Amino acid sequence: MPVWLREHSWRQTLTAVYLSLPLRGARATAANIFCSERYLKVSVPPFLFEAILYAPIDDTNSTAKIGNGNIFFTLYKKEPAMWDSLTLANADKEKLQYLRENAVVKAHEKAKEETEAKKITKQEHKKYALEATMKVEEAERKRIEDLKEKERQKVAKELDLWKNQQKNGDKYKIIQKKRELHQETEPLKERKSEKINKTRIPNEGTSKTRLKSTKGGHGSCSIFSQNLKEEQLPAPRAAATIKVNFTPRVFPTALRESRVAEEEEWLHKQAEARRIINSDLSELEDLKEEEKNPDWLKDKGNKMFAMGDYLGAVNAYNLAVRLNNKLPLLYLNRAACHLKLRNLHKAIEDSSKALELLTPPVPDNEKARVKAHVRRGTAFCQLELYTEGLQDYEAALKIDPRNENIEKDAEKIRHLIQGTMPNS
Amino acid sequence: MSAAVGAERPQVVSHVQQALSYTVFDCKWVPRSARLLCLGSAARGTGLIQLYELHGARLELLREIEKPKPIKCGTFGATSLQQRYLATGDFDGNLNIWNLEAPEIPVYSVKGHKEIINSIDGVGGLGIGEGAPEIVTGSRDGTVKVWDPRQNDTPVANMEPVQGESKRDCWTVAFGNAYNQEERVVCAGYDNGDIKLFDLKTMSLRWETNIKNGVCSVEFDRKDINMNKLVATSLEGKFHVFDMRTQHPTKGFASVSEKAQKSTIWQVRHLPQNRDVFMTSGGSGSLHLWKYEYPAQRSKKDSEGCEMGVAGSVSLLQNVTLSTQPISSLDWSPDKKGLCVCGAFDQTVRVLIVTKLNKI
Repeated sequence: MPVWLREHSWRQTLTAVYLSLPLRGARATAANIFCSERYLKVSVPPFLFEAILYAPIDDTNSTAKIGNGNIFFTLYKKEPAMWDSLTLANADKEKLQYLRENAVVKAHEKAKEETEAKKITKQEHKKYALEATMKVEEAERKRIEDLKEKERQKVAKELDLWKNQQKNGDKYKIIQKKRELHQETEPLKERKSEKINKTRIPNEGTSKTRLKSTKGGHGSCSIFSQNLKEEQLPAPRAAATIKVNFTPRVFPTALRESRVAEEEEWLHKQAEARRIINSDLSELEDLKEEEKNPDWLKDKGNKMFAMGDYLGAVNAYNLAVRLNNKLPLLYLNRAACHLKLRNLHKAIEDSSKALELLTPPVPDNEKARVKAHVRRGTAFCQLELYTEGLQDYEAALKIDPRNENIEKDAEKIRHLIQGTMPNS
Repeated sequence: MSAAVGAERPQVVSHVQQALSYTVFDCKWVPRSARLLCLGSAARGTGLIQLYELHGARLELLREIEKPKPIKCGTFGATSLQQRYLATGDFDGNLNIWNLEAPEIPVYSVKGHKEIINSIDGVGGLGIGEGAPEIVTGSRDGTVKVWDPRQNDTPVANMEPVQGESKRDCWTVAFGNAYNQEERVVCAGYDNGDIKLFDLKTMSLRWETNIKNGVCSVEFDRKDINMNKLVATSLEGKFHVFDMRTQHPTKGFASVSEKAQKSTIWQVRHLPQNRDVFMTSGGSGSLHLWKYEYPAQRSKKDSEGCEMGVAGSVSLLQNVTLSTQPISSLDWSPDKKGLCVCGAFDQTVRVLIVTKLNKI
């Protein structure tokens, strides 16, 4: 329970009220004072002082001085009049309550207004700052533009000057040329007159000297010197051809067209596949040296296939695969053998394995992929799985759209499918 | 780059911009004048040659010549200063030399190639260098042919693929090493990244290398001196500068490479007045100005005692973006330092001035 502070002293003038509150030993700060137009409350634990003022005061201008164990209020009255007492004496509880709440609400509103006002001033300040910076930047930009303009104008003037020089130079050349032409005709005339003179009187001496002097002049000299220069130009070169080679690449595409990453991967894979030697087979000791070479075995298999010995070819391929299971061509060729032997499921398996090994798809392994698709397609069709077969044929066509056989076969399959559909 | 920071850096100032109604493939200054030529292809599939003159802040069209086939490239390199004949290569593989005063009938004409002539270069004219005037053309049919305007119908040198081998497009050609009457070298760049150097005196292949990306443009820093530097630009924003003074028997020429932009570098052109400064134009419509610095020692001995070259370094002086489309052609004026013209695929030709080149 707070202790009510009753000992207060006050005095008044027409416009102001001076109130003094003694604080016995307690410390007060500005936050402990709550003041509105008609209500004043000071709460300094454990003391509490409140007063419902007699008449409204101007609470924004009123001040409170805290110090010396005392709070000294200077409250400016709204209406200059002498108060009978500091507080409303006959205030009952309800009125007191109402006035208190009113005071609080009013204080809130004031606070709100103040914050709003602050916000607005802040915004205005910001705007001002922004405008100021913009002006500064504008000035800078203008300065640079002006410099550039000056450069431009200077340079344009120089250019004009140079152009005029060119024109004058040209004019001078034209005049010179005219003079040269003039002087050309003169020696001709001279010579003619000389000839005439010769026949008449040997005044050669004088005319010769005159000839010489004109020869020494600009005109004829230049013609002669030009003739000499033309002769100095070497004859056209003897015709010859130089043959050139262009930088070879595994894939002859320029960097802009290449899909280097895929191609590198393919090459890498091929190189690795070559290196695999599955040498942990016990039967290997029985085989001859050459029979351990997967390439040799592949060739053998190819030969047997060509002769019609499909089982033998399959054997050869099997051994080769045991030695090196990363060569796609082995599976491809074995698939062909199985097709001939009507081991259709095995053919499908082998073609699939071959296709697996033939990734990534690059121009280098196009032919192999086409073959694999065609063989698998054939196997599917012979198993009467026409839709799968058609899929493979279409894949083959995609890789090699110009192959007529594949097209024909694909057409046949399509007809077959359409033919069987209504039945099933 | 802001002028404030690099006050001493060369600035690229856009002087004139001219919109054209056709695709411009090549633009060239007419030597000893303030006139420039634009070569290209009109929408209806014919070739156009337009002659402009620089008047103050605009270009004035002096002549327009239309030809049956679109024109891809042209050069003044093989004519004398008095004649100033233009040699052009067109989309059909024809090489023609025109007298611009009387352009109805070409002075020289030959159907040199089976496919479009991608690039052309001339040497021996304009008072630069010595020796016979020659023109070299590189075409999509994989051959590089050298022509002499005094010899009709057959080229004086033909660099073609070996019989039966697949051909690669030749995208660019350049002459070099023409410091006396006999010596001459042709450098050709192909679309698979091959660069080949042919020696015309010995009629043999002198050096070849591969820079992995298609070669868009090659140029020697000067045609008429003992070959000094060669810049080759390629797709994917890279260019290589080769030091051509020292050839190692196996390693060839030393080089330094730089990746400038993310897009193709279409052209490289050296400043005629300073052979260590060159400009590259890119597929993103930007121009970069570079300076090459020589190393302390241009050659050193390797482990076997053979001489090998040492490449220097390249530094970027300035860059500017002018357009959103590739700038496909670039030419410095041989008469005014810093004046250049560039043509881009957005159908505009721009005249630019690069300032402060005296200070580098």
